[in-house]
Amino acid sequence: MDDAMIIKDVNKSYGHGVGRVHVLKDVSFSAALGELNLVLGPSGSGKSTFLTIAGGLQTPDTGQVIIDGQDINKLSHQQKEHLRLDKIGFVLQSYNLLPYLTVQDQFKLVDRVKKAGNLSAGQLDQLLEQLEIKKLVNQYPSELSGGQNQRVAIARALYTDPQVVLADEPTASLDSNLVKVVGQLFQDLAKQNNKAVVVVTHDLRLKQFADRIWDLSDGKLTQE
Amino acid sequence: MFLALKEIQHEKLRYGLITLMFILISYLIMILMGMMLGLAHENTAAIDSWGTQTVFLSKNSNDSLSQSLISQEKRPNYRPDHMATIGVAPAVAKQGKDKENVQFVGLNRNEFIFRDKLQLTAGRKAQNNREVVTDQSLKNKGFKIGDQLRLNSQGPKLKIVGFVKNAQLSVAPVVYGSLTSWRQLRSVQPNIVGSALISDQAMSTATAPKLQHYTVKQFVNKLPGYSAQNTTFTFMIGFLMIISLVIIAVFLYILTIQKLPHFAVLRAQGIPAKNLISSTIYQSLLLVAVGAAGGILLTLLTKQVLPEGLPMEINWLAIAGLSLALLVLGIIGALLPVRVIAKIDPVAALNQ
Ligand SMILES: Nc1ncnc2c1ncn2[C@@H]1O[C@H](COP(=O)(O)OP(=O)(O)OP(=O)(O)O)[C@@H](O)[C@H]1O
Ligand SMILES: [Mg+2]
Repeated sequence: MDDAMIIKDVNKSYGHGVGRVHVLKDVSFSAALGELNLVLGPSGSGKSTFLTIAGGLQTPDTGQVIIDGQDINKLSHQQKEHLRLDKIGFVLQSYNLLPYLTVQDQFKLVDRVKKAGNLSAGQLDQLLEQLEIKKLVNQYPSELSGGQNQRVAIARALYTDPQVVLADEPTASLDSNLVKVVGQLFQDLAKQNNKAVVVVTHDLRLKQFADRIWDLSDGKLTQE
Repeated sequence: MFLALKEIQHEKLRYGLITLMFILISYLIMILMGMMLGLAHENTAAIDSWGTQTVFLSKNSNDSLSQSLISQEKRPNYRPDHMATIGVAPAVAKQGKDKENVQFVGLNRNEFIFRDKLQLTAGRKAQNNREVVTDQSLKNKGFKIGDQLRLNSQGPKLKIVGFVKNAQLSVAPVVYGSLTSWRQLRSVQPNIVGSALISDQAMSTATAPKLQHYTVKQFVNKLPGYSAQNTTFTFMIGFLMIISLVIIAVFLYILTIQKLPHFAVLRAQGIPAKNLISSTIYQSLLLVAVGAAGGILLTLLTKQVLPEGLPMEINWLAIAGLSLALLVLGIIGALLPVRVIAKIDPVAALNQ
């Protein structure tokens, strides 16, 4: 299988001196197209750090992140921006929608920046239907519940039809039914749309949908 | 643009207040500008209304119109189509209980100012030396056509036969009469013919070699208090502009800083920094443009309700210039935080 994302020997620490925390220790990882990878770990174990490095939002202290054959830390600022917009769909852990745009406008904004290759109106409709948020298109994020916000954020991330989907705790505020919907959605994305999906979470309910499960603890990433 | 408008739409109160502030700032500057121009106009309205381009005073007048006395020998021959002798004297006009400080301007009835330049709004022009026309502002002070005016306590008694507009000199209304009355008023030697020669054409020094030559600009700047007034106003407006720049810039900066978390999210999603920057600049321009437009509107309204006595002049060129300056200030204010936007760390959004 094609590895859409490869992470090699990544180290990352925060802080200096005695306050220094070594969050990621020689972390290596790969995610193939058509595959759902689940990274499990307790709170504070470095899951978000891992995901932001994978998505090129942070640079590792050492090591490489290769997306679609390109070492992203060798790209210019603009090239990285492009890569994020074109190839990566981010579902952020929290606060991931603009408060002053309605659900519908969150998608319109993407249309204005990325003119081609987004989901068609029909596909978007279907996605919103599937996530049970179709009726909410004219609401502002502040008028939605946490779980509704989360699902809009998922739809928003998938709207650009990215090759790699990175999701940080996408089910944190969802009930079991919706966890199944989202788990199934991510699985379908991987299987039917041939995307590389990486979900970091401590939600064990997602385990049943995963192709590969990884464990992050004490800064070390191991495959189960 | 999309982002900028949607944001304003959603946060009406916040943007409403900021716009209101910009409106008040531009209103303040424009009203000051209007008053400066209004005052300047009252200093020179009569001179402007004659289409003056050249002025000659006597050589020992010390640049002062009221000190200048031109004698018969020093005055050259001229064609009255484009040159006129005027006699100017400050006076107190009395009619019954009404008293008013005026500038008496004596004219020859066959010369171009009297013939072509008086802008009658009521009545008719004078037909003899005992008749005068006055600035229409006197009408609001209780003077009427047919009234007998007495100039100074010992001066001639004259009858108002008409009102004209744009007849102000050194911030006083003008009474247009004859040079004969002027001579009486100033009690000058018989060989003195007037205070100044006025031409509505550019004339050289050689036209009247025995007199002092001024272009209209030189002359106007020598009017008592005129340039001091303008300098004061110009400085006030200049300082106001600088202070406004700081205020506008600070507000736009705070506005942008408050948006950073949003920008971080957008950056994480891959929205390019240049979109965010152009949206920010567009928004700032919009706010400042609305501010300037509101300021203009308020200024026009103020002009409508302002009492006659307070001079204010609407000059569209000046207003356009001011608005442009405000827009430039807005762009500068918006550009200051651009560096911050470009450097946003999107991870900040994830760590929240
Ligand atoms: N910008 C930062 N500066 C300093 N320390 C940081 C920073 N970001 C994260 N850390 C630290 O790194 C460690 C891992 O943080 P991270 O956010 O990756 O954990 P996480 O696994 O995503 O936790 P959670 O499940 O609660 O979201 C934590 O101890 C955290 O305090
Ligand atoms: Mg996290």
